[in-house]
Amino acid sequence: MTDDDDLRARLRRADPAADLPPLDTSRLRESTMTATTTTPRRTTPLLTLAATALVLIAALGTWWLLRPADEPAAPTAAPTVTDLTAPGIAAKCVEPSADRLRAAADFAFAGTVTGIDGSTITLKVTKVYRGAGTDQVRVAQAGDTSETMLGSGKFETGREYLVAASQGSMLICGYSGEAASPGLEELYLSAF
Amino acid sequence: MDPVNSDDRRLRFEAVAPAVIDAVRRFLARRTDPATADDVLQETLLVCWRRFDEMPDEAVVPWAYGVARNCLANAERSRRRQGRLLTRIWRLDRPAAVSAEPGLPDHDLATAMRSLRAADAELLRLWAWEELSPSAIAVVLGVSANAASIRLHRARQKLRDELRKAGAAAGHEESTEGSRP
Repeated sequence: MTDDDDLRARLRRADPAADLPPLDTSRLRESTMTATTTTPRRTTPLLTLAATALVLIAALGTWWLLRPADEPAAPTAAPTVTDLTAPGIAAKCVEPSADRLRAAADFAFAGTVTGIDGSTITLKVTKVYRGAGTDQVRVAQAGDTSETMLGSGKFETGREYLVAASQGSMLICGYSGEAASPGLEELYLSAF
Repeated sequence: MDPVNSDDRRLRFEAVAPAVIDAVRRFLARRTDPATADDVLQETLLVCWRRFDEMPDEAVVPWAYGVARNCLANAERSRRRQGRLLTRIWRLDRPAAVSAEPGLPDHDLATAMRSLRAADAELLRLWAWEELSPSAIAVVLGVSANAASIRLHRARQKLRDELRKAGAAAGHEESTEGSRP
């Protein structure tokens, strides 16, 4: 087909590689074969592994922070003592909202700390916002302090606190704290 | 890997490497700027060496073109990513054409090639510059020989049409087209 030949010839005349200078390929060949025998493409799998590990750690961490208490101690009305656990881990929190508090909390009260015995804090309940009425609440705090609790960050004898809990586990992240903390009481009033 | 096999592998690679390097170098010079061509040539060779056992006994060069094509596509992807990032950082207007393809001396031909679909233009380059047969083009592109043959035929037709348009617009007839009725 002479038509095709013409076309091919015209294209060939425009070949940008026609006057490519010669290249000594020995160095290139050598570097190719030595480079790959020592490092057979390791970076990508390593990066992938590292990324996977990070994601796993993040997921585990999130689960750890958000997990329900191991033994959900449902508020029991009979002895009028309620046990709660408080996580002692620092956590990053989203801004608290009344909607979320309403959805999450099955127990919320105002109370004054009457005693701290080791890691157990005892509160005298002054008002129950939600859940079964109870006179006394015991909070088993995992750490010495919870920075994610509003106010001073920890329970102190004689002070009044607002505490919300879900399935026996204290809600932190701006949902529990000193009653005097700005906005906390308003949050409770609009949620319950 | 036992050393005898690895020596044998080296010898076999040494045997095909010069032809592959020369061909891929030209392949890249036709499609990108010299700096990218150097990088991609090295990358292509690494891939060829790593996947040497998959290399077909015949059609070694078209197979290597296929590897080079992918490596070049990767390089251009990351270049575009970089370009986008720089644009965002500096908020500069970059020229619309980011392609680093070398310019062609034949103006009408360059215009006609640009107006073709990228896949068609690539078929024509493989056919005219790399001087590949339809079956070898099929190896490069990873399609059947039949498909390559049909697509090449259509691409040639489209290029002729475009050249005729370009020639008419410029008000002169190219000598290569003068014989057409």
